[in-house]
Amino acid sequence: MSIAVMSAKPTPEFRAGGTDFSERRRSGVSQGMLIDIAATGDKTITWGADGAAQIGALTTIATIATDARIATAYPGIAASAQGLATPQVRHVATLGGNLAQRSRCWYFRRADIDCLKKGGNTCPARSGNHLYGVAFDLGDCVAPHPSTMAAALLAYDATITTDRRSGLTIAGLLGDGSVSHADHTLAAGEMITSIALPAPLEGERASYKRAISRTYAEWPLVELCARVVIAGGKFQLVRLAAGGVAPVPLRLTAVEAQLSGKIANAASIAEAATAASSGAKPLPMTAYKLDLLQGLVRDVLERLSD
Amino acid sequence: MTATTINGRPLALPDDPDALLIDVIRDGGLTGTKLVCGSGVCGACTVLLDGTPVVSCLLPAQAAADKSLTTIEGVGAAGLHPVQKAFMAHDALQCGFCTPGFVVEATAFHDSWRATKGAAAPSREEIAAALSGHLCRCGAYEGIYRAVAEACAGRFDGSDPIAPRLEARDKVTGLARYTVDVHHDGQLEGVILRAHVAHARITGLDLAPARAMAGVAAVVPLLDDDNMVRFVGAPIAAVAAKDRRTALKAIAAISFKPEPLPAVIGLDAARRDDAPVVFEKKDRKRAGNVSEGAGGAPVSWKGNVRGPSAPFSQKAKQAKSWLDEARAQRNPLLVEETFRVSTQQHASLEPHAAVARFDGDQLTVHISTQAIHENMEKIAKRYGLPHDKVRVIADHVGGGFGSKGSVGLETIAAIELARAAKAPVRVAFDRDEELSVAGYRPAAELKLSLLPSAEGRLKALSLTAHADTGAAVNSLIAGLARLIYPAEAKELVDFDVLSNLPPGAPFRGPGGPPMSFALEQAVDEAALRMKVDPIQLRKLWDPDPNRQRLYDWAAGLDVWKSRKPASSQTGRYRRGVGVATGYWLYLWQTGSSVELAVKGGRIVASCAVQDIGTGTRSVIANTVAKAFDLEPQDVEVRIGRSNLPPGPGSGGSRVTASVVPPTLLAIDRLKAEIKRTASRTPAPGSNAPWREMIAASPDITVSARRQEDGKPPPGVRPALHEAGIMGRVFGWVLRLMNHMVVGAGVPSSVQVMEVEVDTWLGHVRVLNAYTGLAVGKLAAPMLARSQAAGAVIQGIGYALYEARETDPLSGHILSGSMEDYRIPGIADMPKLDVHFDEAGFEHVPGGSVGIGEVATVPTSPAIANAIRDAIGVRLTEIPFRPDRLVAALKGRDAA
Repeated sequence: MSIAVMSAKPTPEFRAGGTDFSERRRSGVSQGMLIDIAATGDKTITWGADGAAQIGALTTIATIATDARIATAYPGIAASAQGLATPQVRHVATLGGNLAQRSRCWYFRRADIDCLKKGGNTCPARSGNHLYGVAFDLGDCVAPHPSTMAAALLAYDATITTDRRSGLTIAGLLGDGSVSHADHTLAAGEMITSIALPAPLEGERASYKRAISRTYAEWPLVELCARVVIAGGKFQLVRLAAGGVAPVPLRLTAVEAQLSGKIANAASIAEAATAASSGAKPLPMTAYKLDLLQGLVRDVLERLSD
Repeated sequence: MTATTINGRPLALPDDPDALLIDVIRDGGLTGTKLVCGSGVCGACTVLLDGTPVVSCLLPAQAAADKSLTTIEGVGAAGLHPVQKAFMAHDALQCGFCTPGFVVEATAFHDSWRATKGAAAPSREEIAAALSGHLCRCGAYEGIYRAVAEACAGRFDGSDPIAPRLEARDKVTGLARYTVDVHHDGQLEGVILRAHVAHARITGLDLAPARAMAGVAAVVPLLDDDNMVRFVGAPIAAVAAKDRRTALKAIAAISFKPEPLPAVIGLDAARRDDAPVVFEKKDRKRAGNVSEGAGGAPVSWKGNVRGPSAPFSQKAKQAKSWLDEARAQRNPLLVEETFRVSTQQHASLEPHAAVARFDGDQLTVHISTQAIHENMEKIAKRYGLPHDKVRVIADHVGGGFGSKGSVGLETIAAIELARAAKAPVRVAFDRDEELSVAGYRPAAELKLSLLPSAEGRLKALSLTAHADTGAAVNSLIAGLARLIYPAEAKELVDFDVLSNLPPGAPFRGPGGPPMSFALEQAVDEAALRMKVDPIQLRKLWDPDPNRQRLYDWAAGLDVWKSRKPASSQTGRYRRGVGVATGYWLYLWQTGSSVELAVKGGRIVASCAVQDIGTGTRSVIANTVAKAFDLEPQDVEVRIGRSNLPPGPGSGGSRVTASVVPPTLLAIDRLKAEIKRTASRTPAPGSNAPWREMIAASPDITVSARRQEDGKPPPGVRPALHEAGIMGRVFGWVLRLMNHMVVGAGVPSSVQVMEVEVDTWLGHVRVLNAYTGLAVGKLAAPMLARSQAAGAVIQGIGYALYEARETDPLSGHILSGSMEDYRIPGIADMPKLDVHFDEAGFEHVPGGSVGIGEVATVPTSPAIANAIRDAIGVRLTEIPFRPDRLVAALKGRDAA
């Protein structure tokens, strides 16, 4: 069906793998000029002497998911890449595109409904059906950020380089969740060029999991990327980055703080997991996401503590 | 212009940066690659790009520059690939629309697997992960698992197998031609302009700007004569243009003024006293129909609520007073609960589609339809044409599940545009149309009270159903509870609740799964309270002879005998086992005719029936082959053309029971004719006397119409007889108005499900499914198994994942993509044990009745009962999504 009622003026868009863009193009949600960067962008992974990786923005998700050195150095990045979308999409979708993709909100994705991200004045999901909306209500738009890789990169303190800026953190790239008209802070015509990861820590382990209703191939209700360093049976480092719950990926700092220095066992994890809802503000239909978030914290950390 | 190679041949790529690979491939005539979801979810469009599977629906055509492309037509072009052979041999397909995508992906998996793993078979988990980017709506996953595992293990490296499904080869090679693949010279593309408000009167419709556009050949209005739209997506006009993009621009140029009217969305809002009324009294005949049969007696109508309709009640007042009394006395055996089922979309992978073409006064329409003959009759009537001037064709149909029975808007639009444009026109719904305005199984609220007697029999039952039918009427859910579990009194009341949502449609056993969801949970609950085994209670309450045998089978299953009580489980993961029963009517269509001929020394069977993935070709071929000691492949089966002898629609599980009996009659006649006209008898001691005689026979043609059944044994009765005189009246109306006969004997299914609940993440997994079926003798055993497996996985979708989501204010359907409307994937398919009890239908010539509907009826309550068994909490609303599971575990209301 096709009747466009969008109020925003179309702006030029970059197209990398096209897995998000083409669908919005077909539906009529995207109507501006397109600039294809698939052939020209950086697809390389380079390694520094300290063991840190720099990943070209046009590197495919499948490459990241299957690269042996990434899997060793950054298992949380590899696991997140393995867990998103479908095998065919992973073969062409890119890391830069994953970060810059647009919202999956079902109102945003319909060309015949206006919303904040299309230049409208209100969020129709807030007053309507927000079953898959945020549980940390940080802005006017209630759609969670769709980028699984952004959550993973947040857990790793990655920095982003664009053709205009460098050293951008994930928060710098995506904002604090209060900005509702866009999915990121990139200026018109600004392009992500590479992603830098700090060198891995000694003895760190990491994991990723998403809560969904089926077994595979579903946008996460909630997802979690976790890194830990355990020494002498105690958590020396806990890093938790959650997706699906807020307009931007969220660090679960309250859980992290509570576990720091604690014995790495099921009891301490279960106790700390209740802090995952700290600061949450669920919508009428999204309180369940906090239960799932707590469950994921327990699931992922218990596996990492084995 | 850049270039690539496709299947080894050069292919020019368009300069248009917006061109997508799938359109370039299909426009170039390679139609094996299918467009389904358009969002990279279902994998039907998968092709190999330099050997790597990618979704061509999202891939810019330019991304293929200087690369090597392989489509399904290129896979095994020099001889079938082992994966293709394995798919054929294991019947890893039904309608076949998803098959090319699965095969392309599986060949890539197979080739890399064998390059590294040798002849080891991959595990189910490995196969599921590799194929997680594909969806099959028929649910052929069980066969796909077997096929991929065995192909990888090297078991299909040899000669081509004999496929149990007659047309399997065409489906695994991408050659099977569906309606969306039809292309005539000069064919135009039609697109429908639809309303984006839920309720409005349309004035000032101006088609002229669209007509004036270059490339536009025809514009026709589609508004009803009251100029009203009553749901988002209601049709307003249609355009035929040289391509889809031009047609889309043209519909955007059509101007009109919608005078908005107050709208009401959904079951709860529409029942309020102050709710805006969707159909004024004079307009009620404009409402759609959600049932397969015609409407019965006139039903009262108040506001948006049509009903009560209670023809199948039995001593309703008595039931009421006993239940009131039990309530007052706080009888602990009284089970009372309100259940809710969600709206289920058919989600056929081939969308509703039609290609219409006029040659002089001859109209030919290819339609993705479940009823070619009936469509022909209705099109002829609508346009005042003689039957022989209308030809409906459906060689292959990519799923229907009830949604493609009537003459749909796609067909009307295609015909009217073709007539106006004087050129062939194709109209194919996009995925958003398919998942919003193409019909659905209505959601419903089911209020149930069930009272066992002090002696442990079923005393009284009350079930009141309010169905969320949108702009349609005629839901029958509660009434179906009359035909199982005889009681002393039953109060069974159905209501349609209309609102400004698209009209519902028949869907696989209309009313059956919702009724069973409520009733089978109530019976389970009664058993718990009575402290008796749930299977034994059903044995006591349900005298049907077919189900009595199935109960004995179910009670003997190890999984049933070894189940543990919920109270013994405290960990994160909890397992449970549940049972449920289902039935459906045994239906056959009067007048169904089959022609058998010997032509050029070969047997040809002809019938104007269609194969929507259910295996009709194979059923006919098997029946004929068996009688003549031939292989099914030796029989040429001609179906899918309305000018053949009239056949049944593929609805009501009626095809097998409608076509096998006349085929048997025709076989007897053909045998007699062959013998009569034979110039010589076969050599004495010949191994294949019939083969020899057919080869030597002159051309002969015989035909037969569906005969009446034989006399059933005592106690075997039509399901409707349970409903007394009203049941007989209903059956009589069905025969008179719909040419459908409810025969004796009740197709039945008893299912046992074992689930695992992850109490942390609210995730339910069906580990093992056991489905016992009594549908008579199997006319095509492997295909019957495929149907049984597909019905279970569709029932799992209904129970666990599938829900249409709407905006409660605007009435937009939000779940119009396959990302948001969630059908099960291959990893969601449990291990399956199918038990066929082939007795019970000996009075039916051939002994076979339909399986499609009954096999899905009890799945959702069996899962509900298994979850209750696992966690000790009864969930009353499907789908059992994570949000509902975690809420139930915490005793909180879910969204």
